[in-house]
Formats: sequence, structure tokens, C-alpha cells
Amino acid sequence: MNITKQVVLASAVTLLSSIATTAMADGEALYKAKTCWSCHGKDAKTPIIPIYPILAGQNKDYALNQMKDIKSGARNNGQTAAMQGVMGLVNDAEMAEIAEWLSTLK
Amino acid sequence: MKKLTTIATVLTFIGVSFSATTIAGGQVKDVKDWNTGEGEQSVAMKLAPNRENGIEVYEVCSACHLLEGWGMDNGTFPQLAGQHKNVLIKQLADIRALNRDNPTMYPFALPESIGDEQAIADVTDYIAKLPMNPNNGKGEGNNLALGQKLYKDNCVQCHMENGEGDQEKFYPKIQGQHYAYMLRQFEWIRDGKRRNANPDMVKQIAGFNDDDMKAVIDFVSRIPVPKSDVAPVGWINPDYD
Repeated sequence: MNITKQVVLASAVTLLSSIATTAMADGEALYKAKTCWSCHGKDAKTPIIPIYPILAGQNKDYALNQMKDIKSGARNNGQTAAMQGVMGLVNDAEMAEIAEWLSTLK
Repeated sequence: MKKLTTIATVLTFIGVSFSATTIAGGQVKDVKDWNTGEGEQSVAMKLAPNRENGIEVYEVCSACHLLEGWGMDNGTFPQLAGQHKNVLIKQLADIRALNRDNPTMYPFALPESIGDEQAIADVTDYIAKLPMNPNNGKGEGNNLALGQKLYKDNCVQCHMENGEGDQEKFYPKIQGQHYAYMLRQFEWIRDGKRRNANPDMVKQIAGFNDDDMKAVIDFVSRIPVPKSDVAPVGWINPDYD
């Protein structure tokens, strides 16, 4: 590997990690701005009522799929009526960022 | 926020009530049954409000309605600031009594979350006195002449000339409210989904098509709110730090 390649690779790694960091920071901000925390708790593990799920550490693909399905109405059972009304606040990219951030929580 | 964390056990019957309410009865049919004042409503209306507790209770509500009580201009959550106290009491009591379906708000409205009738008196008095949003959500503005005509012909008798509503009659203030929120409620009232709607209104708007509905709500969303009731742009509620 020559110097140029190493520089390019290093830059790419830096860029990617900064994108990842941004996404995580955005996910955290979105989790509050889109009122997710109102029901699921500021730490994503103290929901307002016990039958609402703990989200901290949830698999990101699972969380994203639930969000998408609740938004579209494909999933409409259980407590989803409480959440469906607020899903107009988030688009696909924002849902992905929130799911990503949730998956990083312990 | 203390109270939020002390809600240890609201049982799973809530899940049952959710499904039950979606199946449960339709709208109030007779106007004499619309506002009986039964239950918590009449109790809360007689209690002297405590401002400090109102501030504490409102923190629960602010998780969605925001600390200023301004809601969201996309209409997901309505503005509460400046609403008539009687209207707030009736709607909160109706939601708690499952006379108005609001699954998103329901757990927050429960006695376990905010307290008893005294808490209702305290928080509604506090909210009614908050200054209103200077930038409420508006419609597209493309059919306002029709909206104005429809408003004059159908709405002024109860909601008044400028959407002031009527505290004594429990008619909501609609001036300054977000367009998308009003549109949703209007549609639910017309189509029978808003169960505690005033039957006189349901009859009055039965002939509105979707374009009429958008036009009249757009007009309402642009009615100016008196300057004395509006907060400066960027106002932050000083009761919270």
C-alpha cells in the first residue's frame, strides 16, 4: 500500500466514523425532538407505563421495522394506536437514525 | 418529572381499555347529553387552583405539548396555551373517563400520572393563562374566500366572530390553533370518530366535503389572535429551568 492509498483510506475511515457519530448524535436528538422519550423514557428504558417496551439496546433492524410498520399501519395491534398518531413526525432516514442510536444503548 | 418516575404500576387493563374504546359506542347523539358535567368535570370546576402544583403537573403534559403549551405547528399535538379553562377541564375529564379516544395521551392523563380532580383544576388554570403561540400552523391559503363564507354561515354562532369560543358554554377557542390539528378533529367530528363532539356541530357540518373542510379550517388558522394573548416570538416559559 503506497502513501496515497493509505491517506485515502485513512480519510475514508475518518469520514465514515464521523458520519456514524453524527448519525448517533442525531438519533439521540431525534429521540427527544420527535417525542419518543415522552412514552419510552429519557433513557429509553423507563416507559411511562410498564406495558410499553424498553428500547435501549434493541436490535436496530427490529426497531426500524417496528417503526415503519406502525407508521404504515401494517402493524396495528397491541399499543400501536398510541404511537401511530405521532409517526407523521419521522421519515425513513430519521427512523433509521433513532434505531441506530437505540441499539447502542446499554 | 417526579410523578412520571413514581408511576410504578398502571396495570395492563389499559391495553384492554384501548381496544375496548375503539369498539365502544359512537358519538353523543343528543345535545342534552353532550355536557352533563358528571364526574370529575364538575368537581374540578369548583376547586380553587394551586399555581405551583399546576406547574408541576404541566411538566408531564409538556412532554408532548411542550413547555410553552404551544404544541407543534404540524398539528401532531395541539396548542393548549390560552384555551378556556372549562374546555380544558371537560376534554381532560372526557379523556380520563374514556368519552374521548386519545390513546397517545391516555396514560399521561391518568390519575396515576397527574393526580386527582385538584390536579385537573391546577393544571388547566395554569395552561389557560399561558401566552399563545405567535406562529401557529396555517393551511395552504388557496381557498380563503370560501373558507370565510363557510365560517360565517356555519361556525360563528358558537365559535364567535374571531374563533374566541365560549368559556361558559365549553366551546373551544379555535383562533391560533394549528391547521393540521383542527383539520383532523373536524374530520373526526364530521365522520363520527370524535365521540364527545357536540351533536349540533356534527349536524351543522354533515354536508361539508373535504375541500370545504380544508377551506374553512385554513380560514380559521389565519384569524388573528389578540396581541395581548400572544407571546413574543421565541418566548421561553420561565417557570421551568
